[in-house]
Amino acid sequence: MPIGAVVTDDRTLGDTTTTVILADEAPESRPPQEPRSLVPRPSRSDVVFRSVAFSAGGVTVAIMLAVGLFLSIRAGSAIQVAGLDFLFEQKWSPETGEFGIAAVLFGTIMIAVIAICISVPLALGTSLLISEVMSGRLKQWSITLVDLMAAVPSVVFGLWGVFFLQEGIIPVSRWISTYFGWIPFFAVTDQEGTALTDASAFTSSAFIAGIVVGLMVVPTQTSIMREAFMQAPAGEREAAYALGSTRWGMIGAVVLPFGRGGIIGGTMLGLGRALGETIAVYMIISPIFAINWQVLKTGGNSVSALIALRYGEASEFALSALMAAGLVLFLITLVINFAASSIVARSRSGAESEA
Amino acid sequence: MTPFTRRVRLIAAVGALLMAVGIAMPAHAATYEVISGAGSTWSQNALDQWRRNVASNYGMTVNYDGQGSSAGRRTYIEGKIDFAVSEIPFQTRPEDNSAPEVPPRGYAYMPIVAGGTAFMYHLNIGGKRVSNLRLSGVTITKIFTGAITKWNDPAITADNPGLAMPDKAIVPVVRSDGSGSSAQFSLWMSKQHPDLWTAGMRSQFPTPANGKAQSGSSGVAGYVSQGYGEGAITYVEYSYALESGFPVAKVLNKADYYVEPTADSVAVALLRAQINTNSGSADYLTQILDGVYNSADPRTYPLSSYSYMIVPTQVGGVFTEKKGATLGAFASYMLCEGQQQAEDLGYSPLPMNLVLAGFDQIKRIPGAGAAGVDPNTCNNPTFKPGDSPSNNQLALTAAQPAACDKRGPNQCTTGTAGAPQETPVSGSGTGGAATNGTGGTGGAGAGAETAAPGAGAGAAVYDENGNLISDGGSAVAGSAVASPFTLDDDSWGWQQSAMLGAVLLLLAAVVLPPFLSPRLRRANAPGGQSTNGAPR
Repeated sequence: MPIGAVVTDDRTLGDTTTTVILADEAPESRPPQEPRSLVPRPSRSDVVFRSVAFSAGGVTVAIMLAVGLFLSIRAGSAIQVAGLDFLFEQKWSPETGEFGIAAVLFGTIMIAVIAICISVPLALGTSLLISEVMSGRLKQWSITLVDLMAAVPSVVFGLWGVFFLQEGIIPVSRWISTYFGWIPFFAVTDQEGTALTDASAFTSSAFIAGIVVGLMVVPTQTSIMREAFMQAPAGEREAAYALGSTRWGMIGAVVLPFGRGGIIGGTMLGLGRALGETIAVYMIISPIFAINWQVLKTGGNSVSALIALRYGEASEFALSALMAAGLVLFLITLVINFAASSIVARSRSGAESEA
Repeated sequence: MTPFTRRVRLIAAVGALLMAVGIAMPAHAATYEVISGAGSTWSQNALDQWRRNVASNYGMTVNYDGQGSSAGRRTYIEGKIDFAVSEIPFQTRPEDNSAPEVPPRGYAYMPIVAGGTAFMYHLNIGGKRVSNLRLSGVTITKIFTGAITKWNDPAITADNPGLAMPDKAIVPVVRSDGSGSSAQFSLWMSKQHPDLWTAGMRSQFPTPANGKAQSGSSGVAGYVSQGYGEGAITYVEYSYALESGFPVAKVLNKADYYVEPTADSVAVALLRAQINTNSGSADYLTQILDGVYNSADPRTYPLSSYSYMIVPTQVGGVFTEKKGATLGAFASYMLCEGQQQAEDLGYSPLPMNLVLAGFDQIKRIPGAGAAGVDPNTCNNPTFKPGDSPSNNQLALTAAQPAACDKRGPNQCTTGTAGAPQETPVSGSGTGGAATNGTGGTGGAGAGAETAAPGAGAGAAVYDENGNLISDGGSAVAGSAVASPFTLDDDSWGWQQSAMLGAVLLLLAAVVLPPFLSPRLRRANAPGGQSTNGAPR
């Protein structure tokens, strides 16, 4: 407050106002002043930092845009031929001009959904265990272990899935299909609708690929959820305990509501990764180009696995078709990741004031 | 010695060493330039071994990137590499109306690695692994197009009189990624059985309706060798069957013998390989394998072929005359010395006619010169100095097939590839042992195992858990039990209800307490609204 300001005191009972002049000089004697600029004059180090930060951010966005642009340009010739059918055609045969992404995209989403169904309960439990139950060295050790799991290359998961898990999961698949075959998802039938029980009917299925991908995204989801859970304020936790809550009651009343953003964000980020997972799906799945609702039955597909499988022997035009498939996946992943990061960001800023 | 002089001496010594290296290096580089190539994954095992050998023996650096044949040809057209390796020649009229593949500079096709397409399978009869399956070309084509779906199909039983084939579904396992194996197999089918196979030569194999697609040779071989792979058959390099301990099918050749794809039988077949020398043809200098497929030599494995190295015959792109000298030396190493290792690497050595054809192409590489292309100094395992294409080491010494391998009522019981154990005769006829010995007239089919009385009796039938279902009887009755049984879809019994109930109880036990406990607590609290029952 500049010297010489006029302070109005509204602590009045009536309509009278008291004017207090604090200045020791007459207000009229001061020269008229420009209002002081509120824009700070940045120091040199600030300027350097700002420009570096801006250019780094700009380059990242530019690279993203360049990838999208590159994909659209290369996909152009295929999309011109296929037109809107590209989204609805199930076959993939660029040689004959009949190709579309419907079955492949369906398979991608199917695998991702199975993966999420398996990974979210696992990740939720693991992160609650680490953040709420464990303590001391064991806790630190498990945090490191989970982060280490995130660093296991996906090809290792794929090999494990093909040469170990697949053999072991067949009886499980068969059991589910035998007793829950009345749910259309879990039926394993041939074209005439007769149930299949051969081991070969259960191999290379979206279910197995989904399990492997699910296990791959568990570490990512766990660490995001755990971080959110550990941010739940200690005061509220203590308050819940003080009111006689059990640990489970405290988790239900404090930790989960505070970590809701983390749960949603972790799930979405995991979904983004599951959609784009290549090598494990590539190794396990037996690619088919038809929509297969029976998750336990052999055959499925995914966009990234399709690209990896086809690109080596693709002609110029087939490559363009693969680029178009890649573009669709790129856009979907982009949307999901944006949504996830916005949810995570919102929960971080608002978590403390909530509840 | 003062520290100063010691330091001076050290510097001098290092300097001298550097100079020595400096003098040695250019001398080396003058001999061999770094060359790089890309392409086929099918040939990559051999190329990688040869690259290591020339690097350690001659100080020659060869880079190779197994991106796939088509990607290799594309990169070659762009002029970014010195050579490409492919199973398919440049496509002048691609099916999908892409731009034709026209290299901007001259090129030649040179044979480098040969191999047979082996059919690895996993089949049990009476709980015992079959290791002596025989198949004819038509049957193979029908299996991989989905026309034959059962192992007891009449076509298969006709090929295998010694085996009582089970009524089990065939699962043809094909490659899901583009591959040279697919290309070679489909080329054979398109030439030999164009009525059954209409897709032409395809490196991307179409999956039959009852089939599986898996990625990579290890993927398909892995699928077949797993427990759930029973009933599966795949096409894969012979070496993968050896490694995984599984048998391969013997394939019928034009001389009416069923032959295993050993290195020798492939090399014998390729003695009939020809190269298109009609410069007006679109397929100039590419392989003509009709002679291989139809070779009358009883030792022939019909599904034999080889992959090309595409070498430049003009300077351009990254390719220079100096690189040509290196490429020529590397190429002649591959054709001669390198072929010694072909069998260990899972391929077959190139026979003399193809080596000579390769030599002609080396001479056309700018800078390669005619040095090192002398068949008399070539250390290739299939011929000796002084041999001729019509009369060489391989043709003289390769083993003849056993009499029991001839089409007829008898079937050899000897195992194949990675499964050397014998398969007992379960069908008709007497067995016989194929002697894997010297050449000449071949092993006499000494009946190693005579058929049990009542030949034609079906083997014991086991269910998938290994329990005996029926021990013999007629083949028909036995096999009917083994067929996949069907379940009623709408059979809702007490088990299902009990299970559903258990699941619901479990869910309730997990989900309900946290929801109910606050409500109950509130309900029990004094003055709670709901306990009063007072209307609101």
